[in-house]
Amino acid sequence: MEFDELQKIWDVQTKEPMWVINETVLRNRVQAKTQQTFHITRISELLSIIVNAAAGSFVLAVNLAKSPANLAMYLLATWIFATALYVLVSRIRRLNGEKTFDRTVLGELAHAISMATYQVRLSRLLRWNMLPIVALTLLGVWEGGKSVWLLLGLIAFFALAYVASGWEHSIYAAKKRELEVLREKLTQ
Amino acid sequence: MTEQEQNQTFTDWLGQYKALLFKVVRAYAVPIMDQDDLLQEILIQVWHSIPTFKQQSSSTTWVYRIALNTAIKWSTKERKHTDARETIETVQPMLQEPSAQPDERISWLYDEIHQLNEVDRSLCLLFLDGFSYKEMATILGISESNIGVKINRIKKQLITKSKQPNHYGI
Repeated sequence: MEFDELQKIWDVQTKEPMWVINETVLRNRVQAKTQQTFHITRISELLSIIVNAAAGSFVLAVNLAKSPANLAMYLLATWIFATALYVLVSRIRRLNGEKTFDRTVLGELAHAISMATYQVRLSRLLRWNMLPIVALTLLGVWEGGKSVWLLLGLIAFFALAYVASGWEHSIYAAKKRELEVLREKLTQ
Repeated sequence: MTEQEQNQTFTDWLGQYKALLFKVVRAYAVPIMDQDDLLQEILIQVWHSIPTFKQQSSSTTWVYRIALNTAIKWSTKERKHTDARETIETVQPMLQEPSAQPDERISWLYDEIHQLNEVDRSLCLLFLDGFSYKEMATILGISESNIGVKINRIKKQLITKSKQPNHYGI
């Protein structure tokens, strides 16, 4: 067979596209991405509340058991409890706002993007929230007369946690972007 | 360019070049999930490219260039799927072949194209779609003489293979 004949075979598909886009699957894909986002958000919120509440209780209990009491540690416990409370309130507000989206594909996607935006904002806020916690912790340890090595160890630990939280934030931001791209494709 | 204009251009291009995009996807990705993945990548890149389109080349050439660039880069990715939990069993393809029986000769042609390297695949697609050497040179950034050499080699290879037995009568 000569190339001209191959060319004719090839040209057939230009007139009749080989595939169609399955809109049901497209819808299911949007829903799957939505569920994934909600799951991540729920776990992240609950972890933040539990960990902050537990950490605040621990710091408070240790400080109460000690004599004399350390003011910086009281402030730290208060700050951590306030963080847990803030996340809890944010969660309640988020759940109340869920009813405002319709059940169309676009509506579900808008819902998922809203959740992803919330997640990105929360992760950014919790990352910056580490700074006052670090300052109060170091101040408390310093006032408690602990060794320099302990201080250095704490600084290294917090630095690692700060880097890790930045990595976590970038994952949420990428997920949000992915959803936005999907929405762009849907609305065009 | 406003977002509305961008949307309109994208819709027009998608309608106009759907067949072109499907060809590129089919030539570069074999499993349907990879084809889905690649098509999404290409559409994203086409969307982002619209504000930078200056009409110095035809929109066909522009879209083809973006599709091929994306496909070539995509084919170098070691792990194609973005979500490791996706499997054939759990994910239905977004792309569906029409109910009509696919032409086995076209399937054979795609199999052969897929066996070429990334650049030759692009050349083969462009040549089969009637692009001139000059247009191909503009799209791929290599000289026309180089394109001529490669095209001749590809043509010979395809013709030789089509004459072998069990190639659906091609």
